[in-house]
Amino acid sequence: MKIIVCIKQVPDTETRIKLIAGSNRIDTKDVKFIINPYDEFALEEGLRVKEKLGGDVTVITVGSSDVEQSVRECFARGVENGIRIWGDGFENIEPLGTAKVLAKVISNMPYDLIICGKHAIDDDSAQVGILLADFLKIPHVPVVIKAEIYEKEAKLQRQIEGGIEVVGVTLPALFTAQKGLNEPRYPSLKGKMAAKKKSIQFIDGNTLGVDIKPRMHIIDMNLPKARVAGTILKDVEPAEAAVKLVKFLREEANII
Amino acid sequence: MFPENIILVILTLIAVLFFLNSVYRLYKFLLLGKKEERFDNIPERIKSVILYVFGQLRVLKEVAGIGHFIIFWGFIVLSIGTAESFLNGFYYKISFEFLGPVYTLLLSLQDIFGVLVLAAIAVSLVRRFILKPERLKIDDPGAKMDALIVLGLITILIFAMFIDRGIMMNLHKDSSLAINATYIPVSNFAAGILAGVSSETLHKVFWWAHNLVILIFLIYIPHSKHLHLLGSIPNIFFRSFRPKVELSKLDLEDESRETFGITKIEEFTWKQLLDLYACTECGRCQVNCPAYLTKKPLSPWHLIHDLKEHLKKKAPLLLKKNSKEENQENEPKILTKKLVGEVITDDVIWSCTTCMGCQNACPVFIEHIHKIIDMRRTLVLDDSSMSQEVQRCFTNMENNSNPWGIGFSARADWAKDLEVKIMGEDSSVDYLLWVGCAGSFDDRNKKVATALVKILKAANISFAILGTEEKCCGETARRMGNEYLAQMLIQENVEILKGYNVKKIIALCPHCMNSFKKDYPQFGGNYEVIHHSVFIQELLKSGKIKLQIPLNSTMTYHDSCYLGRHNDIYNPPREILKSVEGIKLIEMDRWGEKSFCCGAGGGRMWMEEHLGTRINETRTEDALKTGAEKICTACPYCLTMFEDGLKAKQKELKVMDVAEVIEQSLESF
Repeated sequence: MKIIVCIKQVPDTETRIKLIAGSNRIDTKDVKFIINPYDEFALEEGLRVKEKLGGDVTVITVGSSDVEQSVRECFARGVENGIRIWGDGFENIEPLGTAKVLAKVISNMPYDLIICGKHAIDDDSAQVGILLADFLKIPHVPVVIKAEIYEKEAKLQRQIEGGIEVVGVTLPALFTAQKGLNEPRYPSLKGKMAAKKKSIQFIDGNTLGVDIKPRMHIIDMNLPKARVAGTILKDVEPAEAAVKLVKFLREEANII
Repeated sequence: MFPENIILVILTLIAVLFFLNSVYRLYKFLLLGKKEERFDNIPERIKSVILYVFGQLRVLKEVAGIGHFIIFWGFIVLSIGTAESFLNGFYYKISFEFLGPVYTLLLSLQDIFGVLVLAAIAVSLVRRFILKPERLKIDDPGAKMDALIVLGLITILIFAMFIDRGIMMNLHKDSSLAINATYIPVSNFAAGILAGVSSETLHKVFWWAHNLVILIFLIYIPHSKHLHLLGSIPNIFFRSFRPKVELSKLDLEDESRETFGITKIEEFTWKQLLDLYACTECGRCQVNCPAYLTKKPLSPWHLIHDLKEHLKKKAPLLLKKNSKEENQENEPKILTKKLVGEVITDDVIWSCTTCMGCQNACPVFIEHIHKIIDMRRTLVLDDSSMSQEVQRCFTNMENNSNPWGIGFSARADWAKDLEVKIMGEDSSVDYLLWVGCAGSFDDRNKKVATALVKILKAANISFAILGTEEKCCGETARRMGNEYLAQMLIQENVEILKGYNVKKIIALCPHCMNSFKKDYPQFGGNYEVIHHSVFIQELLKSGKIKLQIPLNSTMTYHDSCYLGRHNDIYNPPREILKSVEGIKLIEMDRWGEKSFCCGAGGGRMWMEEHLGTRINETRTEDALKTGAEKICTACPYCLTMFEDGLKAKQKELKVMDVAEVIEQSLESF
């Protein structure tokens, strides 16, 4: 079985994001980058399917050379092939552009199953998976928490509001991974060492003939207000406390 | 007398051949192990043998050890008599009589020790089969039978000796025994009882009984727990003189390696295998093991016992296999039985807190912790087989250089308002204050770091912290078996410290301190490392800080394993507490080198405790029993474990680090 997993490299969830003053960009200095956690579930599922049914897993990413570390992490966990796509103008690529680029590359490859994370935790767009499936004209099943993959078909459980929906699709198909799908593995040392020596296939995005021109522009970007310590009303009568609380909520917190 | 002497010679030769063959096989088993250098420091090694074999110093650490001391020395004294009896049996003219008064003394000692040994054996039997103390508990019925056989044989031996002596005294009034009757009261007593029944035939029966038991013993020893007679002396001789529980450095660049941890018994070093022979099965390790005492699957004794049994089964097949290449197919099961997972289960391997309670108690210097870490290494590095929380801890260290996984850029936030120098801004200081992950990220321990900073400032110490450049020291990762991650962190830290030319480090955490002392030199990092409790003690001694405010309180001090057993720092924290006016120290039952682990060492801090009862709650109960108003410690892990233990016990008691106590008592300014 030919399995493709799309990954994105994102800032670590614990990173304290800083903005470059006077721009709408984040300062990547001191940012620790990781594989998007939902993509990790996708990757793990891909590896498990391969281990069950045979075949190989190819990881594809659209990213600068900094992203190679994440591709190597995928190698360490047992991925066979890694492809990185990048080119001029890709810094401002939007989800639509990314999906087009991925579709162009993947359409020239053999595949049975494509797995993406349900969304990337940096920009929260949640578009690439569904767009990619659409461009490739294959079924798309989002937010999957359990996957049973067979040679020609798949039975997928997806999380829906208040319940679980079980979906059947014929392959090739694309699904996106939700937390709970699996527990991603920790690479073995042998895997890590082998990963250092593997080569990552590079595709020059500018040669693909895909229009990635942005359709939106960011007007402004702001950091959320720093959290301040809570206020505790001590040693006051309940009636008085209630008055103070309402006053606080109205005048300072602007909630009521 | 002919032909008995010939029969005895033949039987002795057979027994000796059996014995030597067994010993040779055991020696060959050892050679299956990997190399390890233990031939340095010969004078110290000889001294160890004198102190710990002949002096039985570690055995005598507890009262029951007196029994062993008597049996051990009884064995030596009686062996001289046995040697004489055999030589005399070979050729009737041989006797040690020529020794004169020394001979009389020997006879007398044999009499005395004979009785003492019998008494010691009686006590041993009562302990083992009636009292059944925790220390002697093992599930393997073979091990119990083994103990019974050995004790039984010794008893028969001594009875046979006394009876035979009595008969000889009655039969040969001119024999040396009869002449020395006053010096051998027990034999003389036996002679009295046997006066009417003594005959040459009866003498022969008991003479043979005595000698046959010796020969049986000779054959039996290498196959029983009494293998320790052979194993323990070399094991004490080859004991480690390296820093306590210094772990081996793995060559991670070696691409020819298929595995990095220990996956097969023969991958241990010969010394690690010798440990198995040395085990006396005394169980001192298990009654000092926090995992065992809280009903977890690990007992250090059973671990060694299981490894020994596995070695004894597997090694002969390995030797056979090595001698002929054929028979690759249908290998015996034991050859493919997995060491980690089957012989020793994952739960056993993960239960260890590396507290060193076992190694500290072991009379024959068995090193349990290395074996456990070596096996953890295979679980982590080779199999990636570990719980989710362990994996998360590793990922946190990888991504944010701390096990909590809090963003690394927040590492110095605790010191924001304290005006602490950062190395990156000014490195012209005398000391680096190594805060560690707990002091940097854990809210409770940030207060300890703050208290220490206030003390250092009050003493006008020139120091700085690394701030966000500090990374986890790697101690926990290494003890959890993740040598790769540990080496990465250690190497990165060594580079940073080199950049600032750091020579002296004050460490807030005993685990960091231990790592700097024992792990870092393997990677070119050599520093003078001092734990904050020791540093504060020096500040008090030199008068750089003065305590002014009395704190009227009773306190109990808990020894952190990595401060105490691992680094022999027991007194400084106590001394500084005592230097505060009004503080009264009350010791727990288990303190000093007998201190009971808080449960967080060896990476256990980061693992769920699903099996058995909770170690920290057991230790909290120890502390509560003292009735002290406050619990004091000098390790961030211990502090956290006590906080949790007290919460579980719903007690309002306060746990403090010694630095916090001193800071409270400092003069106000």
